[in-house]
Amino acid sequence: MVFVLGPAALLLVLIACTSGPNQHPTGDANPPGITPGQVVTQQGQAAVNLYLLTFVIATIVFVLVEGLLLLIALRFRRRKTDVELPTQTHGNNNLEFLWTIVPAITVTVLFVAALITLTTETEARSPNPGLTVEVTGFQWQWTFAYPEYQNTAGKAISFTGSGSDGPTLVVPINEPIRFRVTGQDVIHSFYVPQFFYKKDAIPGRTNEFDLTIKDPGTYGGQCAEFCGLNHSQMYFTVNAVTRTEFDSWAANAQSQANATPPPAPSGAAKIQLKAVSVQAGFDPSTLTAPADSPLAIELVNSDTTAPHNVGIRKGNPDGTDWVGTPFANAGQTALYQAPALKAGTYEFFCQIHPIMKGTLTVGS
Amino acid sequence: MATTTLPQVRPYQRSWSSWLYTWLTTTDHKRIGAMYIATSFGFFLIGGVFALVIRSELAVPGLQFVGESLYNQLFSLHAITMIFLFVMPMTTGVANFIVPLQIGAADMAFPRINALGYWLIPPGGLLIMMSFAFGGAPVGWTMYAPLSAKEASTGVDLLLMGLVLLGTSSILGSINFLTTIFKLRAPGMTLLRMPMFVWATLVTSVLLLFSLPVLTAGLIMLFIDRNYGGGFFDPALGGNPVLWQHVFWFFGHPEVYVLILPAFGIVSEIVPVFSRKPLFGYRAFVLATASIGALGFTVWAHHMFTTGAVFLPFFSFFTFLIAVPTGIKFFNWLATMWGGQVRFDTPMLFAVGFIALFLIGGLDGAFLAVVPFDFMVQDTYWVVSHIHYVLVAGAVFGIFAALYYWFPKMTGRVLDERLGKLNFWLLFIGTNVAFFPQHLLGLDGMIRRIADYSPNAGWTELNFLSSIGAFMIATSMLPFLWNVFITLRRPPDAPSDPWDAYTLEWATTSPPPVYNFDALPPVRSERPLFDLKHGAVDAHAAALPAGADQSHGEFRIDPPEEFLGQPLEGHEDAEGHPRGIAPEVSAHAPDSEKAPPTDEPK
Repeated sequence: MVFVLGPAALLLVLIACTSGPNQHPTGDANPPGITPGQVVTQQGQAAVNLYLLTFVIATIVFVLVEGLLLLIALRFRRRKTDVELPTQTHGNNNLEFLWTIVPAITVTVLFVAALITLTTETEARSPNPGLTVEVTGFQWQWTFAYPEYQNTAGKAISFTGSGSDGPTLVVPINEPIRFRVTGQDVIHSFYVPQFFYKKDAIPGRTNEFDLTIKDPGTYGGQCAEFCGLNHSQMYFTVNAVTRTEFDSWAANAQSQANATPPPAPSGAAKIQLKAVSVQAGFDPSTLTAPADSPLAIELVNSDTTAPHNVGIRKGNPDGTDWVGTPFANAGQTALYQAPALKAGTYEFFCQIHPIMKGTLTVGS
Repeated sequence: MATTTLPQVRPYQRSWSSWLYTWLTTTDHKRIGAMYIATSFGFFLIGGVFALVIRSELAVPGLQFVGESLYNQLFSLHAITMIFLFVMPMTTGVANFIVPLQIGAADMAFPRINALGYWLIPPGGLLIMMSFAFGGAPVGWTMYAPLSAKEASTGVDLLLMGLVLLGTSSILGSINFLTTIFKLRAPGMTLLRMPMFVWATLVTSVLLLFSLPVLTAGLIMLFIDRNYGGGFFDPALGGNPVLWQHVFWFFGHPEVYVLILPAFGIVSEIVPVFSRKPLFGYRAFVLATASIGALGFTVWAHHMFTTGAVFLPFFSFFTFLIAVPTGIKFFNWLATMWGGQVRFDTPMLFAVGFIALFLIGGLDGAFLAVVPFDFMVQDTYWVVSHIHYVLVAGAVFGIFAALYYWFPKMTGRVLDERLGKLNFWLLFIGTNVAFFPQHLLGLDGMIRRIADYSPNAGWTELNFLSSIGAFMIATSMLPFLWNVFITLRRPPDAPSDPWDAYTLEWATTSPPPVYNFDALPPVRSERPLFDLKHGAVDAHAAALPAGADQSHGEFRIDPPEEFLGQPLEGHEDAEGHPRGIAPEVSAHAPDSEKAPPTDEPK
């Protein structure tokens, strides 16, 4: 009774004290089962077939071993009448050869099947992919860029976003899409369960792969490699559409990219800061800012080697450290939006190099 | 005969300070082993509390108990605690107690280094736990760079230094075990007569000796990256983040076998004893253990398939290949039980539970070797399920089997069977309820290391089920702790050999005297105590249709006489003397098992 009522009561309590659940649908709506849910890529479907093959073999091994265990437990249990020793068998050459060679053949067959799928589907590259997408992961957002679609200034159209939906990646169906995945700060992983595929987004490295999406639809994706504080909220959405719909979407996106970029948010106090080097720290090392006003921090990274950013200890309203993203690479400039601060003295720092720090005095 | 009055022995003063002093300064391998076991069990409970908080948070969608910041610290420290502070010191502790006894030695080869090895564990554990007070170490147990290099928290530095201490302890321990096993074996105990647990400890020590220095070097490189502007793993400074993964997993995969091989050894000790048969295919077992150890160094990059930076077919093939020696072990265990007289006491229940459930973990591993499928489930709950079937159903079941099996030898008291069986069934059911649903979650795309998931994904029910299983596992510890408590309050009454066992540790009293053995039985096979009880030749002749070559139906290629300067097997050397046995020693076999030596002064 307690095993039924206990968890039921617990569930009610848990749901009662839940705060703002995340609504992003990663994965399909079907309940999980022993077979994969919806799989929409050609490469993924090949991998599903491999899964089913492995599943059959594993089930046979499972039933064999557990069945033998049950049989032994029933048949060879020691009885009161067992006084004499049982036959002291030390081994059997034929049997041992059998259960060395049969597993060896089985795994070799499985390996060859996996290798064929790997080379002909998963790792295969199309000579002329229909679209190239550049995926960049950084804490805790994604940027999707389309190098074949540029604005009049020659800049590829791109979409960056964070939050519970993240940016949307629009792609055409029924043609191979070339993904080029990289990371900016730490390692992330581009993962869409319905693609049955993931690849790591590693700083300093670009991973390429081709996927062909078969079914139109909206598919939730999420970073799969632990990447720090908000890893569990690093979402994105894939919108797979027909080629016609994609072309009109792309034309529209290009014309929007030609419009002037939105001005920086008004009402924000602006602070300019220079990151010189790990040893020399920030210039200046003391800053002042007005209280209760959002801050715009422009960080000029004049360091020749390392990326830097700015964080403010206990700078968030809930008392946690505020950290500016993304990092400014060597020679680049980044603009951050920090939350409004109460009057007082704060420490600002670089997240990668905590020895780089300074004092921020917030006055009234 | 005239009687001589011995001077009255002054009763030993049992004060707390002298008791404490004895334990703090001991170099007795049995006491050090007991301290390892007690310390690591304490860390097991701490790591278990972390797990309960994690499973409570994941029971339903939304954030209820801990925020993401604390959650990330908890899952990192849960794994670190369980691997480095529970399973490793626990198996080291059991081996510390048992290996010298099983090979008939008086102590480890280097008793003081042994004590040093233990005393590095508490400060290492303390440093790691202190990370919570210094910003935490939210980097995962894998500590992937550049995240771990950029995480601006002193807690990560504490974690790195704590791990360096624990690694040093393990390196000292493995050198000590290797020397002990190679140099201190009883007369007659050739390599191919060593108990399987000793073989497992030997291979484990070799794995640690080759892999831990790599991790220690990596940890220090990471420390330099973090604190002195090094650029080993930072691409902006010309480093390579994937390098860390190579360094880590070159340690990390042999580490998996470091965690599981002792459990294989424990199960291989218990299954024959409780089946009243010898281990089926002893030589195949030795070869399988050694080849698992060797193959363990060829598969590290199967943790890195999705990095796109490794040669997939090589690592896939060798990962598949590990299934072969593991399969040999499974079928040999089954064949050991087959035709036996199997007694299901608590140690045997845990051993059989190990075989039944570790199988699932092993089969999961074969799925993960299928690279296109790995691309789907890497970093999902499938992998979480796999590692817990391997480490809970594997290592933890093996450890509990060992604790129940050797508790009489360690304390002189047999644990209560009814509480033991309650412990087993709660743990067995709880493990499956907690970890089987995670396969399905992973296959549906639920990634690991997240504090929250969407209520729209259909994952709520299985997560809730998994959390119930976690609490069942926690509940299963209560009968165990109560069992140990009430058993230790009883006076010691265990006989030398409560399980009718085969190996040398049961030839001395329970618990053994400080010097371990008054006399050793002759060692003529891998079951010296069985030979003592039943007669080496007679019992075999009666029970066996032995061939003319005395091979008992087992295929034998004559091995070389020596290996690394150690006699492998064979009773006589070229001059006809018993190999490895000084004649004056072999004559001193005890008269009868029924009159065991006692540690009372005579």
